[in-house]
Amino acid sequence: MPRLILPLLFSALAFLASAAHADDFSYPDINAFLSTIGGTPEPLQAVVPAEPNIQQEDLRVRVLPDRKLPPAFDFYTKMGFRVAWHDDPAPLVFLIAGSGSSYDSARLDYLKALFWQAGMHVIVMSSPTNYDFIAAASTSGLPGLGRRDARDLHTAMSVALEHARNKTGLEATEFRMVGFSLGAMNAAFVSELDEHLGQFDFTRVLMLNPPVNLYNSIRRLDALSHTDVPGVDSTESFYEHIFDKLSRYFALRGDTDIEDTLFAGIQTSEEALSDAEMAMLVGAVFRFAAADLNFMADLINGQGRYAPTRQKVTVSTSLTPYLRRALFCDFGCYVRNQLWPDWHSRNAEGTLEDMAYETSLKSIGEHIENNPHMAVLTNADDFILTRDDYHYLAETFGERAFLYPRGGHGGNLRHHDVTARMLNFLEGTTP
Amino acid sequence: MSRISIALTAALITGSLQAQESIPEYQDPLEGIQIHEGKGYQFERSSLRALDVHDPIEGVNRRIYRFNARFDQFVYLPVVNTYEWATPRFVRTGVSNVFNNLADIPNLGNSILQGKVRKSMRTTARLLFNTTLGVVGLFDVAEKMGLPQQSEDFGQTLGFYRVPPGPYLVIPFLGPSNLRDATGQGVDWAMEDYVEFLNNREIKNNNPSIWALQAVDLRYKNPFRYGALDSPFEYSQVRYLYTKFRELQIEQ
Repeated sequence: MPRLILPLLFSALAFLASAAHADDFSYPDINAFLSTIGGTPEPLQAVVPAEPNIQQEDLRVRVLPDRKLPPAFDFYTKMGFRVAWHDDPAPLVFLIAGSGSSYDSARLDYLKALFWQAGMHVIVMSSPTNYDFIAAASTSGLPGLGRRDARDLHTAMSVALEHARNKTGLEATEFRMVGFSLGAMNAAFVSELDEHLGQFDFTRVLMLNPPVNLYNSIRRLDALSHTDVPGVDSTESFYEHIFDKLSRYFALRGDTDIEDTLFAGIQTSEEALSDAEMAMLVGAVFRFAAADLNFMADLINGQGRYAPTRQKVTVSTSLTPYLRRALFCDFGCYVRNQLWPDWHSRNAEGTLEDMAYETSLKSIGEHIENNPHMAVLTNADDFILTRDDYHYLAETFGERAFLYPRGGHGGNLRHHDVTARMLNFLEGTTP
Repeated sequence: MSRISIALTAALITGSLQAQESIPEYQDPLEGIQIHEGKGYQFERSSLRALDVHDPIEGVNRRIYRFNARFDQFVYLPVVNTYEWATPRFVRTGVSNVFNNLADIPNLGNSILQGKVRKSMRTTARLLFNTTLGVVGLFDVAEKMGLPQQSEDFGQTLGFYRVPPGPYLVIPFLGPSNLRDATGQGVDWAMEDYVEFLNNREIKNNNPSIWALQAVDLRYKNPFRYGALDSPFEYSQVRYLYTKFRELQIEQ
């Protein structure tokens, strides 16, 4: 439910363009949650071409020949991805989505258009934690471990590239990689893996708003769904509360049109969402992504806890009871109940901290510290980072860390200063 | 003199070096909000309540939902894409406007039935302006005059008089509905038949391709895409959103 609202809300925010800050970053001085939901005000966005003008296609390809799914999900045995290409040889950039996002999410679509316009081929991949990737390309069906996800993703990227070459005839002169959020961490691990395999030899790897320690970030995001929202007591529903606000706003305006400027309209009205409400919305979206993850991981592994066992699920099977159960299991719960037993069975001596360390950038510190082809872009108010995480990125990447004072988690990625910085790094001869 | 300028230059250089080394100061957005873990379960409670939609024939509905999604993927959307490829935008807008103009008949009927005087007058004015100045509805001149379309269907009218939605239904080809709104749809069609505005039924029956065009236009105007919610639980989420959206419409 909030997952539909967010993309709608995400689209435009044409107000609050004045920043009273001493720095020279013209992004508005707004709360990190508002940045994350509302994005960049339209006048400050870098303009990218619209869909009909981009040569692109959505393709599907089989990655795991032995993967079988119940009939209701047979569509997902093939992995979907998006390719935008040019007729002439050009550098190819792989774009990797953040947790719980697929290759067609709005944020990635903007980045795709940006890089395509700059003359690159673009292949957009779903996050290894998204249910479509789990179904089609995750060998274990249990994403969340840095190195194992990197192997799955590397294979999936190779298969996607081959398929895209056959279908479009694109010619790649070199390979680059850009990931957002968890996708940025995935990119770092894939880069490290590829160094050993020597297949793509990435010339640029750009990490947008990465976590440093995945489980730290998960804890912070899970916490958002426990936000105390003033005005909603323990008998009321948070969604009804938001819909009531919408209803009063529509009544004032006299229609129920859901349009691009809806969010901007609400935020400048009396019904503006509070910081707590926005934090809760972000948290809720993340929880629904966790429910999807719990469901698909369980469907592949057949434990029957959050998904029906394979024999039982048909097209008409109600999945609502499973959603009810999965909604109670946040990302931390997934890590403890599905990921940890699997990891522990292979590392009997290891602790939860050991597993967490394996999925932190620190475990591949050597690779990222000495790699001039790698850069990170993040914000001082990105809520997935602790203070230590933020300073770790600043110190590890030095002048390859592009740090902005505001923007929340990816809210400023369309800002023209930020996009210029990204392109400059990707296209520059020296980093 | 030269010593001062050297000192100044040195100061400037160190200054700029310091500026380069300083980074934006970390701020923790979580510090600005109250988080109570294990208390209230607001998220869980709200979400469970959202799943409580009366859906006694869920199995059948899910099959139809899947049929609609397939039909959309293999037939409906490819046709709409071809339509978009083959016609310029102003033609498509004109087509939408003509059908929207016809739809103002049930909009008007239902505004009157709900005793909404202001809305009825605005819709009457729309019909007059668009049918005459707008050349049988080809141009939505009324919207430019500050009279945007305000849809009212018989499902909304029933809702206005406190008729509950009844069981959730997925209608073949048309998608999410419920017993109240599906009934309302039937009444609206009957209303259009009865009024026979601009002889549209007769013209359509003589030229069946207009029916097809109307069906294409219906999908062209609707931004919903199967799979856009990006979740294996799309069915449950659409069910809730449909129910809430209808409540919002009825309240206006």
